[in-house]
Amino acid sequence: MTGPVIPIASESSGSDFTSDFIHPPHYLPPLSPIAVNNPVRVVNRLTMSLSAASSTLLRTCARQQLPTARAAVTSCQQTRGVADAKASFESPFATANERGSTLKIPNFSKYQSSKSPRSNQVFSYFMAGTMGLATAVGAKATVQDFLVNMSASADVLAQAKVEITLGAIPEGKNVIIKWRGKPVFIRHRTQDEINEARETKWESLRDPQSDDERVQKPEWLVMLGVCTHLGCVPIGEAGDYGGWFCPCHGSHYDISGRIRRGPAPLNLEVPAYQFPEEDTLVIG
Amino acid sequence: MAGISNVIYQHVSPALATTLFRRNAVYLTAIFAGAFAFELSFDTGSNKIWDSWNAGRQWKDIKPRYLVAAEEEDDD
Repeated sequence: MTGPVIPIASESSGSDFTSDFIHPPHYLPPLSPIAVNNPVRVVNRLTMSLSAASSTLLRTCARQQLPTARAAVTSCQQTRGVADAKASFESPFATANERGSTLKIPNFSKYQSSKSPRSNQVFSYFMAGTMGLATAVGAKATVQDFLVNMSASADVLAQAKVEITLGAIPEGKNVIIKWRGKPVFIRHRTQDEINEARETKWESLRDPQSDDERVQKPEWLVMLGVCTHLGCVPIGEAGDYGGWFCPCHGSHYDISGRIRRGPAPLNLEVPAYQFPEEDTLVIG
Repeated sequence: MAGISNVIYQHVSPALATTLFRRNAVYLTAIFAGAFAFELSFDTGSNKIWDSWNAGRQWKDIKPRYLVAAEEEDDD
C-alpha cells in the first residue's frame, strides 16, 4: 500500500513522549490529611489522575492505530463501486435458523387480499374520495354558518331602509322621519328656495359644497337631522338663513343644509338615498 | 364500504371505476359533484325527517287556523 506519507510518531519518539509524562498511570499523589477528611476532594484527585492516565493511553493508541486505519479507509475507497460479492446479507451476530430468533420474517399470507389488485385500488380510491366528499361538505357548511352568523339579521335589514311616498309632502314643507334611530329631514323646496340655494357663494363657506352636490333632485332636500356640532336636532324653518337652526349652541344652516354661522364645523350630512320611482324615496 | 366499492367494481362497471379514478381531474370533479348532490339530498332528507317528527307543531302547520281567525275578526 503506497499512500501519501504523513509524519507519525515512531517507536523511539513514542518512548520519548512517555518519558515526558509527569506521572505514570498507576501513580496517585499522596493524600494530605485534609484531603482524607474531605471525600469530595479525594474523588476529585482520583478522577484527575485517572483522566490524565486515560488521555495518555488514548493518545498512544491513536498514534499507533493510525496506519492501519488509513489502510482500511484506502481499501474501502478502492473497493467502492464494485458490486458486492454476496447478494444476501447475513447478520454476523445471529441467524434466523436459531430457535426463538427475532430475525425470522413472519408469514403474512393470512393477511393477503384474495381479490384482484385493481379491486383493492378501487376500494382505496373510493374511500379517499368519500373522505374528500365529506370534508368538502363539512368545510362548506362551516364557512356558510360563519357567514350566516355574521350577516345582518332580518330585523336589522328591515330597519336599514325606509321608503317614503313623496306625494303626501306639499311644497315648502318639512318632514322628519326616523331612519336607523336618527331623524332625517326631507324638505320639498320651492323654486325660490332652490334658486337661493344655488346662487349662494358656496366657495367661501366654512364647508364649501355646492347645492348640486347635496341633492339629487333639486326640489327634494334629504339630510340627517343631526347637528354636526354636538348632535342636537336642529329646528326647521328657523335661523338667519331660512333653513335650520340648532337651539343648543346656535348654529345656523341655510336652505341647502350648509353651515353658515355658529360653532358647527360641517354641513348637515346627506345620507345615501335614491328615487326608485317618480314618487318614491328610499333612504339607505 | 368495501362492499360498496366491490359492487361498483364488479357489478356496475370496472371501466367506470377505473375511468373515475384514473384521471385526477375526473376524480376531483366527481368528488365535488358528489359533495353537492350529497349535501342537497342530506338537507332535504333531514328537513323531511324534522317536519315529520314535529308534524302539527310548527307554524306552517297551525298557520291556517290563526289566519282564518284573524280574518274573521277583521270582518267582525
